[in-house]
Amino acid sequence: MTVPVLVTGMGVMSSIGTDLVAFTRALQDGTSGVVAVPASVAGPARLAAPLPAFDLAAALHGCTALDTATRDRVRRAGRRSPVAVQASLVAAAQAWQDARLPDHAVAPERVGLVVGGNNLTTAYAFDLYEGFLRQSAYLPVRYPLHVQDTDHVATIADGFGIRGEGCTVGASSASGNMALVQAARLVGAGVVDVCLAVGAMAPLGPLDLKGLAAISALAPAGAPSLPFDRTRRGMVPGEGAACLVLESAASAQRRLPPGRATGLAAVAGTALVLDGPASGAPSAAGETRAMLAALTAAGVTAADVDYVNAHATGTPLGDAVEIDVLDEVFGAAGARPWVNSTKALIGHCLGAAGALEAVATVVQLRHGFVHANPAPAPLSTTTCRLVGRSAVSASLRCALSNGFGFGGFNSAVVLAAT
Amino acid sequence: MNPVNRRDRVVAAVLRSVVEVLPDLDPDTVSVDGTLSDLGANSIDRVEIVTLAMEDLAITVPVTEFQRVRDIASLVDLLRRHSP
Repeated sequence: MTVPVLVTGMGVMSSIGTDLVAFTRALQDGTSGVVAVPASVAGPARLAAPLPAFDLAAALHGCTALDTATRDRVRRAGRRSPVAVQASLVAAAQAWQDARLPDHAVAPERVGLVVGGNNLTTAYAFDLYEGFLRQSAYLPVRYPLHVQDTDHVATIADGFGIRGEGCTVGASSASGNMALVQAARLVGAGVVDVCLAVGAMAPLGPLDLKGLAAISALAPAGAPSLPFDRTRRGMVPGEGAACLVLESAASAQRRLPPGRATGLAAVAGTALVLDGPASGAPSAAGETRAMLAALTAAGVTAADVDYVNAHATGTPLGDAVEIDVLDEVFGAAGARPWVNSTKALIGHCLGAAGALEAVATVVQLRHGFVHANPAPAPLSTTTCRLVGRSAVSASLRCALSNGFGFGGFNSAVVLAAT
Repeated sequence: MNPVNRRDRVVAAVLRSVVEVLPDLDPDTVSVDGTLSDLGANSIDRVEIVTLAMEDLAITVPVTEFQRVRDIASLVDLLRRHSP
C-alpha cells in the first residue's frame, strides 16, 4: 500500500442477518441461511440462501445514527429502485453511520465509490420481457437507467452525496474483492480520502440458474452441499450485499474520536492476477500467485497468517484445488492457519461474495473467533486447520480472504487487526 | 361509461401516477390545474407519469398525439379521448 488503508465502517445484508450485529451473532452461532427452494418456472428444486424481504424506509430508519437529511436523500434516491439497488443502499447506510460520517464528515469530493459486480440486472430484464411482448408501451420509463450496473453507483452517490471518483468493477465471482482492490488503490494513491467498496447483489433469473446447473456448478436439492466437504455437489447461490468504508489512516486520525481512529481493521495488501482458462476451470498457479502477491504487498509472509477465509464454494473441483494450494503455500512456511468458508452459511453471493466475506473476516478478527465450517466429512488437509461444526475462539492478527472468478480471476486481500 | 365517469377515471389515474412518481408532493395539493413541470416533474418524470397512467387505464396513445399536450388538463382530455 502506498499509504495505510483502514476499514472504518461496515454494513451487510445477508441471508443470516440484515445488519452487522445480527450477522456477527449468526457467524458466532454458525447459523445457515440455506433453504430448499421448490421447483418453479424458474427451474427444478434447488438450494439457495435468499435475502429476506425488507422495506427500504424501515431499514434506513433502523440506521439511527444517520442524520435526517442523509436518510431522506437516500430514501428518496432509492424509493423506486430495484431491490438489489435498495440492498446496496441499506448496506452503504449501515457502513456510512458505522464510519461516523454523519458527525465527522469528509468533503464530498474526497469520497469515492467502487461497486463490484457485473450483469446485475439479467433477472430484472428477464422479468420484464413477457410484459414487453404483450404491450411494449408499458416498459418502465426508467428501464434504461435501472438496467445498467452503474445504477448502483448512481443511486448510492446520489443518496450519500458522494462526489469523488466512482465506477463499477467486474471480475466475475472475484468482483467483491476487486471492489476492495480498486477502492484501496484510490485511497492509497490519494485520489480520495474515503472510498466505499460495495459488493452488489445479482438476483438470478431462470436463464442464469439453468446455465449454472447445466455446467454442474449448482448444488441440486436433496442434500446439503458444503464447502470442503467430501460429498459436496456444487455451489448454493446466496443473495446479499455489503459495504466497507475504506479510508486513509491519516484521514481516520484527523476526523475520528480516539476509540475509532485506528479503524476496524487494516487493508494491508491486495492482489488480483489473471491466470486460468476462459472455460472457468480453477488455476492452482493463479491462486498461489494471487495469495503470495497479496502477502508481499502487505509486507507479511505466509507464516504470519492466522486465518484464511477461503473462496471455497462447494464445487468438487474448485474446493479441491484451493485446499491443495493452501497446503502448498502454508506448508512451505510451516504455518497452520485456521480455514473456513463463509459460503457454508450465506451461500455464494457471486459478485458480492468478496465484500460479504471481507466483512465476515473483519468481524472474526475483532471478536477473536473463527466461524464454523460445518462440513460433515471434511477434506483432509496437511496444513490447514479446518474449523469444525462450531466456532472456535482464536486470537487473530492477520487474515487472508480469497476470491476466485470464472475466466481466470484470482484475488486475495490481506486484512490485519489494528 | 358516461362521459363524466370516464373523465373522473382518467383524472384519478393521472393523479395517482403523479403521486407515485413525485412522492414528496402533498396529494391533497395536486389537481389538474397547471403543468407537470410546475409540480416539479423533469422530462423523465413526465414520460413516466403518462406511461403509468396509460397502463393504469389499459390504453395506449400514439406518441405523436402528445405533441399538442401543454398542461395536465389537456393530457387528461387526450387520455379520455382514447379511453373506452
